[in-house]
Amino acid sequence: MKRQDNSPTQNSMVPGSILRRFLRGSVLRGSIRARLITIVVLSQTLLAAGLLFSGVFYTRRQLLSALDAGMQARAMSVAALVRYAEDASGNVYFDDTLMPASLDPAHPDLFAVWTERSGLLTRSANWPAGLEIPPTGPGRWKFKWAHVHYRGLRVFQVPVLDREEGKAFRPQSLTIVYAAPMVQLDEQVKQAGISIALSSLLLLGATVLLALWGIRRGLLPLQELAAEAGLVSTHHWELHLPDDAQQIKELRPLTQSMTTMLARLQHSFDQQREFLGNAAHELKTPVAVLKSTLQSLLQRPRASEEYRAGLEHSLEDLERLEQLLQWMLRLARAEQWAHGALRRDLQVIDVTATCEEAVERIRQVAESRKATVHFSKNGSVMFRADPEDLQLVWINLLENAVRYGPEGGSVEVAVEREDGGPARVIFEDHGAGIAPADLPHVFERFYRGDPSRTRTTGGFGLGLAIAKALVEAYGGTITADSAPGKGTRMTVELPVGGNKERAKLFSD
Amino acid sequence: MRVLIIEDEPRLAENIARSLRESAGYAVDIANDGQEGLFLAESSEYDVVLLDLMLPQMDGMQLLGRLRQAGQRTPVLVVTARDDKESVVALLNAGADDYLTKPFDLGELLARTKALIRRGKGQPSPVLSVGDLELNTVNRSVRRGGRPVTLTAMEYRVLEYLAHRPGAVISKTELLEHLYDYNWEKFSNVIEVYISGLRRKLEDGSSRQLIHTLRGQGYVLQDGTPHG
Repeated sequence: MKRQDNSPTQNSMVPGSILRRFLRGSVLRGSIRARLITIVVLSQTLLAAGLLFSGVFYTRRQLLSALDAGMQARAMSVAALVRYAEDASGNVYFDDTLMPASLDPAHPDLFAVWTERSGLLTRSANWPAGLEIPPTGPGRWKFKWAHVHYRGLRVFQVPVLDREEGKAFRPQSLTIVYAAPMVQLDEQVKQAGISIALSSLLLLGATVLLALWGIRRGLLPLQELAAEAGLVSTHHWELHLPDDAQQIKELRPLTQSMTTMLARLQHSFDQQREFLGNAAHELKTPVAVLKSTLQSLLQRPRASEEYRAGLEHSLEDLERLEQLLQWMLRLARAEQWAHGALRRDLQVIDVTATCEEAVERIRQVAESRKATVHFSKNGSVMFRADPEDLQLVWINLLENAVRYGPEGGSVEVAVEREDGGPARVIFEDHGAGIAPADLPHVFERFYRGDPSRTRTTGGFGLGLAIAKALVEAYGGTITADSAPGKGTRMTVELPVGGNKERAKLFSD
Repeated sequence: MRVLIIEDEPRLAENIARSLRESAGYAVDIANDGQEGLFLAESSEYDVVLLDLMLPQMDGMQLLGRLRQAGQRTPVLVVTARDDKESVVALLNAGADDYLTKPFDLGELLARTKALIRRGKGQPSPVLSVGDLELNTVNRSVRRGGRPVTLTAMEYRVLEYLAHRPGAVISKTELLEHLYDYNWEKFSNVIEVYISGLRRKLEDGSSRQLIHTLRGQGYVLQDGTPHG
C-alpha cells in the first residue's frame, strides 16, 4: 500500500504528474477508483466507437441507396428526352430543353447518352473536357474528377421512350451514363458522424460523473469500516461493524476475517499481558528474599563467617531465580509454538520410545523418593513431532506424579492406542490427589493449589502449563482426573494419523 | 516491642526478623502459614504484625478480616507482591494500616514498622519525651536533662516500651510479653533487674523520680507522682 496515495497532497497534485503516474501505472495499481473509472471510460469509448462506425456506415448506405434511386430516375428522365426524328430514318435526337436542373448547383450532375447505331448521342453541357467515360463497364462505380467524388450509373438497353405507333423502323436502345457528385452525401455522412460522436462524448462525460459518484458511494461503507477499525486499540478491542458493511456481500469476507483476526489478536495479547503480569508477580518474592538477605548483611559489620553464610544463601536464591526464569522461558517458547509461530522440521517418531526415555530420565528423582515407575505399552505409536517436545511433556507429568505422590508410592505410565483413534499416554499416581476446587486450574501457569507444598517440593507451577501448551501445539489434549485421597490421573491424547489440526498449526 | 511476621518464604521471614532484632531490638515471632499466624496473633500480645498476602492454609486477606472481626487493634503492615490500585484499596479497607510491595527495602520496612508501633500507641513523633527525659527511637539514644544516658540493650527496650505509653500502668507480664518472643515465661524475674538498672542510670544526680512502682500492679513512667 502506498502511503502517498492517501495523503492529502493528492488533491493539490498537478494534473501532469497524475498523468505521468497514470502512464507508469502507479495510479491504476494504487487506486480502486482509478481502476473502475478506467474500465468505465474504456468500455464507454469502445461503445461510442462502435456506435459511430455503425451509424456512419448505416447512414452512408441509406444515403447511397437514396442517391442511386434518384440517379436511376434521373437517368430515366434523360432517356425520356431522347426522341425520334420526325421522319422514317429512325434517327434520334436529344431534346435538352426539358432537362431538369441539378440538385447541387455548385456541382451539377453529369450525363451522357449513347445509341446502338451511332454511338455518343449527347453529353450534358457541363461534361468536363477530357473526362472519358466508356459506355461499358459495371453498372455502378465511383470516380474522382477535379477533386470531386462522383458516383456513376450505367443503364443499358434503355428503349427510346418516344415510340410512335406504326413506324416501320426498328426501335433503338440507349446506354445512359449518369453521374452525380457525392459532395452533399459526404457532407451529410460527416454531419451524422459528428452528431453521433458529440452525443457519445456527452454521454461518456455523464457516465464518468455517474460512475465517480457511484464508486464514491460504493466505497463509503469501506471508509466507514476503516474509520471503525481505526478505533480498535489494545485498550479497546471491540470492532463495531457499521450496518452497511455488514450487509454488503462483498465486504463480508473482510469483516468476518477482521473479527476473527481481532479475536485471535486479543487472545494472544491478553495471554502475553497475563504472562507478563504473572511473571513479574512471581519474580517479586525471590527478588525480595535476595534483596533482604543482602541488606540485612550490610546493616552492621559482621564476622566473615556471617558474610560467607549470607553470600551462600544469596547464591542459592539466585540459582532458584535462574531456574524460575528458565522455566518461564520454556513456557513462553511452548506457547509460541502452540500459536504456530515457528515452523520446524518435524520427523515421524515413536511416542512409546520417547516415553520410555522420559521414564529412564526420571528414575533418579523417583528413587530419591523411593517411588517406583511402572511402564506399560502395546507396540509403537508413530507421530510427527519433535522428540524433545514430547519428552519434556512426559518428564513434566512424571515429575509431578513422583513429587506429589506419597514417598515409596508407585506411578503407572501407559501408552495406549485404539484402532483409528488417538494415542493415549496416561500417568497415574496414588498420592493425595487434587482438590476439586483446584482441578480446573491445574494447567494454569503459576497455579499452585497449596503454595507451601510447592515450596518444599521445589516446583514453580509451570510444568503442567508447559505440558499443556506443547500438547496443544501438536493438536492434542491433556486432561486431569483426580480423586482426593486416592490419586491423580493425567491423560494426554495425541491425534495420531489424522493430525490435520497439527499440520495446520505448523504451516500457517 | 514484639513483632509477628506471617510469611511463607522462610528466608524472607528470617531476614526481616534478623533486621528487626538487630536494628530495632524487637522480639520477633515467625509464622509460616495463615493458620499459625492467626493463632499467634490472637493468643499473644504484639505491637505490630507484618503480614504476607499469599499464604498457605489461609490467605493474608482472610486473616486480616478475622483479626479485625475479633476486635484486634494491633497495627498490621501488609507485605505484598501486588501493587495495583484495586488490591491496595481493598487491603486498606480490610483493616490494614500500611503496605509495602515486594521487593522492598529493609530500611523502609523498619521505619514503617516503627511508625506503626508509635501510632498504635498514640505517639506521633519518633522522639518520645517524658519530663526532661528524651528517647530517640530512630537512633535509640536516651538523654536526661540534655545529658546522654548509656543503657544496655534490654534496659533500652524496657524504657522504650514504657515511654510509648507515659502515665499508663504497665504490668510486668505485659512488659515480658512485649519484650520477649514466645518463650518469655523463662525471663519472668529479669524485669526487676532492668527496672532497677534504669532507675539508677536515669535518676543519678536528679531529684525527680520518673519510673514509679505500683505494688501489685506494675510500673508507670511519668514526671511526678502517679495518682492511683
